[in-house]
Amino acid sequence: MTGGTSPSPSTTDALSVADLGKSFGAVQALKDVTLSFRYGEVTALLGENGAGKSTLIRLCSGEHQPTTGKVAIDGQVQELANPLAATALGIAVVHQEPQLVSAMTIAENIFLARLGGNAAVAAHRPGALVREARTLLAEIGLSDAFADLSMKCAGLSAAERQLVEIARALAAKPKVLFLDEPNSSLTRRETDRLFGIVRLLREQGVAVVLVSHRLGEVYEISDRVIVMRDGSKVGEGTVGDLPKARAIRLMAGERLVEQAAKDETKAAREIDPKAVPVLRVRGVSGIAFSDVDIDIHAGEIVGMAGLVGSGRTEIVRGVLGADPLYSGSIELNGHPVRLRTLRDAVKHGISFISEERRTSVFYGHDIGFNLTSNVLGRFGRLGFFSQRRRMRFAQERADRVGVKAESVATPIRALSGGNQQKVLLARALASNPSLLILDEPTRGVDVRTKAEMYALIRNLAHVEGLAVWFISSEMDEILHLADRVVVVREGRIVDNIAKGPQAAQVVASALGEKAEDAVAFFGRQERGEAH
Amino acid sequence: MSVAGVRNLPFLKGQELGLAAVVIVLSIAFSFFNPHFLTTDNFRNILVAVAVVGIMAIGQCFVIIAKEIDLSVGSVMGLSGLCGAYAMSAGLHPALGVLVALAVGAGCGLISGLIVVYGKVNSFIVTLGMLSVARGLTYVLSGGLPILIDPRVMFIGQGEVLGIPVQVLIFFGLVVLGQIVLKRSVLGQRVVAVGDNDEAARLSGIPMNSTRLAVFVFSGLAAAVAGLVYTAQVSVAEAQAGTGLELDVIAAVVIGGASLSGGRGSIIGAMLGAYLLGALRNAFILLELSPFLQQMSVGLVIVLAALFDQFRQGAFQHSVLAIRLRRLFGR
Repeated sequence: MTGGTSPSPSTTDALSVADLGKSFGAVQALKDVTLSFRYGEVTALLGENGAGKSTLIRLCSGEHQPTTGKVAIDGQVQELANPLAATALGIAVVHQEPQLVSAMTIAENIFLARLGGNAAVAAHRPGALVREARTLLAEIGLSDAFADLSMKCAGLSAAERQLVEIARALAAKPKVLFLDEPNSSLTRRETDRLFGIVRLLREQGVAVVLVSHRLGEVYEISDRVIVMRDGSKVGEGTVGDLPKARAIRLMAGERLVEQAAKDETKAAREIDPKAVPVLRVRGVSGIAFSDVDIDIHAGEIVGMAGLVGSGRTEIVRGVLGADPLYSGSIELNGHPVRLRTLRDAVKHGISFISEERRTSVFYGHDIGFNLTSNVLGRFGRLGFFSQRRRMRFAQERADRVGVKAESVATPIRALSGGNQQKVLLARALASNPSLLILDEPTRGVDVRTKAEMYALIRNLAHVEGLAVWFISSEMDEILHLADRVVVVREGRIVDNIAKGPQAAQVVASALGEKAEDAVAFFGRQERGEAH
Repeated sequence: MSVAGVRNLPFLKGQELGLAAVVIVLSIAFSFFNPHFLTTDNFRNILVAVAVVGIMAIGQCFVIIAKEIDLSVGSVMGLSGLCGAYAMSAGLHPALGVLVALAVGAGCGLISGLIVVYGKVNSFIVTLGMLSVARGLTYVLSGGLPILIDPRVMFIGQGEVLGIPVQVLIFFGLVVLGQIVLKRSVLGQRVVAVGDNDEAARLSGIPMNSTRLAVFVFSGLAAAVAGLVYTAQVSVAEAQAGTGLELDVIAAVVIGGASLSGGRGSIIGAMLGAYLLGALRNAFILLELSPFLQQMSVGLVIVLAALFDQFRQGAFQHSVLAIRLRRLFGR
């Protein structure tokens, strides 16, 4: 323990883990973690993507079984064989991606666990569930969240789905509640409402564990902070003992800071605003967005910030032709184009990597197959190709982005998430595009790979002159990578601003973080502080 | 009227109501060409003809809602009917013979289910295998010869109560039971949850394995009941009974609004789907149309039903056509 936390008599350990470890094949996701969560306390679990927070939660909630170590509840060592066993012991999890049954009603989803707990032949009474759900929502101050609890979940917004997931977790009257990025799709107002619930639970003596990337908000509500990095606990203490700035340093390690300092030397290209942009979008409207104008020049990295549901992904999909556009015009290198499908976009020199890795990777195949799937035509003629030329090309491109694997014949399944993402980047670059569009380029990627990818993307734009347009909900990523920042709110572009301290504030407000954090972040980056 | 407006018309709210409307409109249309179509006698004929497929559609509906499929129902129907007749001809009491048939059906379903759940083999493959194995077993047991059924069980397929044929009563009884189990029992809701989002179901502690097993056992049981009804109807158990019926059964379930991607479906819809298929066949005979046309139109109905369901789910609301229409009508 790094912080000086002496357990006060009023707080006892609700859940503690000792020497907990978990490996998935060769990847060690969690290493010898010892920590505890206490009754009546809100503990923040901090760490970058891939630090092991989610794995820790899965082990504590019976979703996975640990490779080493033990989980104890109320001091008793417990075997959590499955989620049901953990629920029975008073552990509930609010998942980052709400897992709802869209064919069922809100009330039925809130009490979904009853389907597992009750006898199979028991009667299912939708009416009674609606009444119970109403009572439960009133208890947790969410009585006005839904107009009709007998509505099917299929049509709910991201925020509403999250609220259903939260109500479901609370329906079990948990002793320990894990909130895994519960507010990543919530606006500031909805987050305040969520934190109201959390405070209520703390008063009732529940041990709450909060995972979030938004440090400002986390520090508002937490009593204690635990920082993780690369599968280990690297810091622990009360909010007073472990201030924000220190937590950030612990989270990122020294690597990112060093990398940032090194990156500063590679200056951004001077962009001539009068030059013809690679992409010019004017007055474009489509599903969930309207009247969007964007220019992206060669050698420029444009970062688009906005909450989940703000319309940022929809804008990209509309421009690409994956979704229809209602109005507006698109010009590529000065020529008006109409893109009707993603295939059209590729033909016009645009490459796109979607935010969902699992929908983009051909999991049953090797790196070579995955890397060359868009460009098979170039390895032969008349619809046939040479496997030898294909694999040689794949090897060359994989080496260029630094994929860590024995050869391109390695199955992609064997790679880490970060390396899979590099293969996808190489695939996008295989068609030699002039515009690269990335949706959440480093989601689920470890810190080291993240830094490598930033360097790679920067090199592509600033040295090779590629136009890059990326979407991110991580403030650090936007501020770190983008030359220009575009902010999306409710389907409209509300800000378009060059890199600088002012951009930091704009992004912070767009992502619901406190401006002072952003300024602090930016100041740190500007000065290249390494400590 | 805009596309969204069309989707909000009340009769399109539930697939069952829409389907019932289609059945009624078609029946009235057919009756213009042959007045005999809309008579009680013909209604009864259609129901008797669809009972076998309809009963199996009830079991299949559970399987499809759970995002699985059972291709073996036609063969299991043949096998369990034959086993029942075989047991009775060997001197067993008819009630026991019925139990034997049900046990064989449930057993086939259980075996398929066990392989799907624990062997983690796709149910399409497992039940395709079961389709062949059960049919082969039927030929082995019977030597290809028909077995006469005990006259005491013939009422199942030939008797009537209050003027209603017994197999129709069984069919309706199972529809009601099935609908209640699906909509109002914990098991039924587990099936919906597992088929709609298995990750959510797993995280909520719903027993996935036993739920999946249960739907295959249901389907096997339904096939056994259908086998008994069919055998009683024709008075003999034949080795080829039920050949090819799996396609009609799946078609009935899909016409009834079930989605092969799981989570959605209705027993009443499946019943209406089976009825629609039967009514079409019947109409083609009464209208003296070519049987080739009949096969074609049945195929069309299946595809149209699936397309209509996609439309109802809003799959096309962002299509170019929908956008043009919306613009045309000023929205």
